[in-house]
Amino acid sequence: MTQIKPLGAEFEEYLRDESRSVGSAQTISFPTCEDEIRSVLRKLYPAGTPITVQGSRTGLAGGAVPAGGHVMNLSRACSYLGLRRDDAGVFYLRVQPGVVLSELRKHLTNKSIPTHGWDTASLLALDELYAGPEQFFPTDPTEASACLGGMAACNASGARSYAYGPMRGHVSALRVALANGDVLSLRRGEVRSHGRRLSLKTESGALLELDLPTYQMPHTKNASGYYVENDMDAIDLFIGSDGTLGVICELELALMPVPAVTWGVNCFFGTEDAAIAFVDAARPVLERAAAMEYFDAEALDILRQQREASTAFSALPKLDAHYAYCVYVELEADSQKEATSELARLGELLEAHDGSRYDTWVARTDVDRESQRFFRHAIPESVNMLIDERRRTFPTITKLGSDMSVPDDRLADVIALYRSSLAEAGLESAAWGHIGNNHLHVNILPRNDADYAAGKKLFLKWAAKVTEMGGAVSAEHGVGKIKRDFLTVMYGKEHIAQMASLKAQLDPRAQLGRGNLFAPETADAARKEAE
Amino acid sequence: MRIIACVKAVPSSTEVKMDPKTNTIVRDGKQAVINPFDATALECALQACEALANQGADVTVTALSMGIPATADLLRDCVARGADSGVLLSDRAFAGADTLATCYALTLGIEHIGNPDLIVCGKMAVDGDTAQIGPELAGAFNIPCVTDVSEIREVASDHIVVTHVTDEGHDVVEIPLPAVITVGKDVAQLRMPSIAGVLAAEDASIEVLTAADAGADPARCGLAGSPTQVVRSFVPERTHDCTYIGGDIDTQVHALANLLKEMN
Repeated sequence: MTQIKPLGAEFEEYLRDESRSVGSAQTISFPTCEDEIRSVLRKLYPAGTPITVQGSRTGLAGGAVPAGGHVMNLSRACSYLGLRRDDAGVFYLRVQPGVVLSELRKHLTNKSIPTHGWDTASLLALDELYAGPEQFFPTDPTEASACLGGMAACNASGARSYAYGPMRGHVSALRVALANGDVLSLRRGEVRSHGRRLSLKTESGALLELDLPTYQMPHTKNASGYYVENDMDAIDLFIGSDGTLGVICELELALMPVPAVTWGVNCFFGTEDAAIAFVDAARPVLERAAAMEYFDAEALDILRQQREASTAFSALPKLDAHYAYCVYVELEADSQKEATSELARLGELLEAHDGSRYDTWVARTDVDRESQRFFRHAIPESVNMLIDERRRTFPTITKLGSDMSVPDDRLADVIALYRSSLAEAGLESAAWGHIGNNHLHVNILPRNDADYAAGKKLFLKWAAKVTEMGGAVSAEHGVGKIKRDFLTVMYGKEHIAQMASLKAQLDPRAQLGRGNLFAPETADAARKEAE
Repeated sequence: MRIIACVKAVPSSTEVKMDPKTNTIVRDGKQAVINPFDATALECALQACEALANQGADVTVTALSMGIPATADLLRDCVARGADSGVLLSDRAFAGADTLATCYALTLGIEHIGNPDLIVCGKMAVDGDTAQIGPELAGAFNIPCVTDVSEIREVASDHIVVTHVTDEGHDVVEIPLPAVITVGKDVAQLRMPSIAGVLAAEDASIEVLTAADAGADPARCGLAGSPTQVVRSFVPERTHDCTYIGGDIDTQVHALANLLKEMN
């Protein structure tokens, strides 16, 4: 049985995540299964101890940074529990929340899924899985060391969400432990709300009548606050809830066959306007595009400098001097012939939008794909190194990365907003991200404390403008603690209060994920009102 | 001027499969990739071509390989990346060749292409590790050879200046053309093809030469022409072991200390 241990110096790393903010906690546990998760919850429930649930701590919004109380780290709940295949031939894999994405990918590719404790039906389904075409899980956040529970908690996305959507659509079932240790078993398609009224029954028989918030979600890529809509599936409320409603003990993931052909294409442009026009034109035409990513001139310049300055980056592909902006398109196809045809179409689009078929990199081999992956990942890594260097002089600054999305028809507008306001504020930046979803990570690179303060102010302004455009303040990182002010800008105080009220119905002592989505005092106020 | 880059299809290094009965590497062509050293050779050939073209020379790069018919796809990929043409020596008669018989076949291919000014090879192939093909080709044509080149410093129409790795360090060498160089893996990174390159390569014809087409002497081809005979291949047994240490920190520290004492 798992122990609740004092959070001493040896556990200090569990006070932070990739957001680089640091919290505090008094105790920590490492449950390995649902029973242990529930046991810890039951022990902490009477005193109402705050609980922050963690996975791999790769989140960028501070959702796993504890705000006092207890840290429940689920990285050791990392077993593969079973497999089934439905009548349509889709495979569904049950995993614990601590399973790491890179490990899942490796096991699917190598057909080496650990099967300890599996029943006969699961083993038979596994034989069918291995006998058929290779399967994959399409959600692909940049950080492959993320764990599946954390990814579900923030409704993670990634480059391929352009074609496959965020994680939500690929989770078919969840088991969620509530703060009191009771469990909800949620299977997609089984329980829906009536309008904004949702009835849930726990495994112990308790009936929960929930009033869902009344806001309308934006029609964009969105990971901002609770997912709510009329007649919604109950499971969707918990996916993307930032660890505030319950603890995910088990997930069932829908797998997909690996596309027969996947080619990555970096397309280079001389101007940002050309890149934007190309994306606008390509979206309706390239039907098999799985991803459309963007790297601006500043991001490419950082790569050029790193390639020259550091041997660790010397393997980066050489960027020609006239390559100013880059759009990366990932094409999928059922055959080489189809892929070639799509590539030709892509070439025509480029020529029509001030690009060139010659100013491209096409990756069709594993070596080239790895080279492109290195290129894409080297940019955030380089920016982090740059900020770490600056922190030696100004320890309080961090990278300020936006995560906002807008509807398709506002792409040019939002980029114009970013450019004009960055120039006006005199801030250094580098932007990259998921341009196919109108979702760029604009990273302000503060040179000093004044830049840092100006950047934070600018983000609040952007949050308001993006909301006006019908967008979302967080498209994939979740809100966590870092972006809760933006969530208030996006939905307003009344709707934030509704979210807190919903939380109070599921977590009556405001224990789970304190400080995520809204300030602790907001949760406490809702709790008192519920009492 | 004519530059020839010799390339070999090798199994993907992470997916090498051994035939459990014959203990030989399974070469079905599906998982074949360009030998990483040869990828560098092709890039060096392309860069040399560009340098010479900038000097006003009329230069072509031909990618040459010996292999199964599926290797034509690999040569087509070389064309997509910038080679002007590809030539494949493919015949059952070439099968089972050691480096001498391989060199013989490649020599015929080079003669078919005609009058090379520069032959660029990878230092070695990752599946054979012999590092013999480059020097053997130089011997066959009686032209100079520099192995394990780490940098190409200068290319001109009549000579090339390179740095190569020696047991003691590095030498800078100038040699007249025609010549053979073999290159290390880190000399250059093979460029990715462009969309224009990929589409052009689709229409390019890869010339396939049989043993008869190349005018080969059957006695010098493949297994028949190979004085080196592989008596046995096998996957070596693992002789090292791993001990997992569990328990709390103190227990682990003591267990580790005891293990280290035992080892000493």
